[in-house]
Amino acid sequence: MATRAQQTSGAFGAYDAHQNTSSDAQRRADKWMIAGTLLMGTAILGFIGFPLFLRGLWLQKEAAKAGLSVRPLIVTLIGYLVIIDSALNSIGWTLDLIANHTLINRVITTSWGAMVDGGYFWHYNELWLGGAGAPGEKAWEIALIPVVFCARLAAAIGFLQMKRWGQQWLIVTCWMGLIVWVGYNTNMTIFADVRYAHVTFPVWGWWLYDIFYITPFLSIPYLHTVNREIFSD
Amino acid sequence: MKNSAEISLPLGTTAPFATMHKWLQRGLFVCLTALVIEGTFTVPFLMVWMGWPTLSLVDICSELEKVRYSDDTRECLYPYPLFGPSEGAGQTTAKDIWGIQPTPQYKRIGFRDLVKFRDERLARQAAATKTDAGARPAARPSP
Repeated sequence: MATRAQQTSGAFGAYDAHQNTSSDAQRRADKWMIAGTLLMGTAILGFIGFPLFLRGLWLQKEAAKAGLSVRPLIVTLIGYLVIIDSALNSIGWTLDLIANHTLINRVITTSWGAMVDGGYFWHYNELWLGGAGAPGEKAWEIALIPVVFCARLAAAIGFLQMKRWGQQWLIVTCWMGLIVWVGYNTNMTIFADVRYAHVTFPVWGWWLYDIFYITPFLSIPYLHTVNREIFSD
Repeated sequence: MKNSAEISLPLGTTAPFATMHKWLQRGLFVCLTALVIEGTFTVPFLMVWMGWPTLSLVDICSELEKVRYSDDTRECLYPYPLFGPSEGAGQTTAKDIWGIQPTPQYKRIGFRDLVKFRDERLARQAAATKTDAGARPAARPSP
């Protein structure tokens, strides 16, 4: 099957041919990276998704080396990592919010809670809507899943498409991440006994596990210093 | 040595921010790799820590409830009724020091401790059964 580049190269000149070849190369790389991201977003299948993602990243790098106009590597990394970060956060919190009486949630979430965060073990499934009963926890879940993480997912997709609104909304939703981290950690600190008393790896265990969710803070400096002209209106 | 005109920067990166963008990219790679490793290994790690395969999923669920509510009679109901009340609603056995900042008093769960807790409980129950039987010989059926 002829690619769009082959179909149009004769008719619209070298510029259009280059654009279409670039677009085809980007799409080919994205197919691998989307498949990889979907798997990495499930958490447990991440080891399958990671090589697929790296394959896409390599294809994109090769296309750039060949002189094609593809996304900058860091834009690709930020976009997909924001999606993975949102997906992983959403899985745990959605299980706790909606599927809190399933066997898998009662085993995995409460085990994780007993290990690093007592908020997910203490009086678990006692609240009328089930799940974590730690002070304030349910409010964070309800606020963050539909508002922050859904908006950030949408922004990341626009960002990967190199749209100006994607960049702008990623800035907005990544700054929301600051509110999330400061608010959430203050809550955990004030109710530290509930969160950390008699858990297996208190405080340092939580930080070791959760520190890798700082993607928004690595994105903010880039989003403010990148040349905005590369994103289209 | 390359002069400034020869240095090719990624699209969107200007020279003053080139170093920062390089280090941010490295940080992003670290986070991606760590999240993949964490995501992949969290479930198997937790399962083994909590006693699988010696304990089944339902066993682990039950043992966790016994620790959480400090009640050896708790059992994990599976499958749970779809519109049933929360499984812990109304329980009165969980131990806490109550106050404006409550402090839980349940046991810390170390590596494979749930297996140990179960074995100790079964041994206690067996001993109690023996003692009961020994204490009431008259209750034995006569030959």
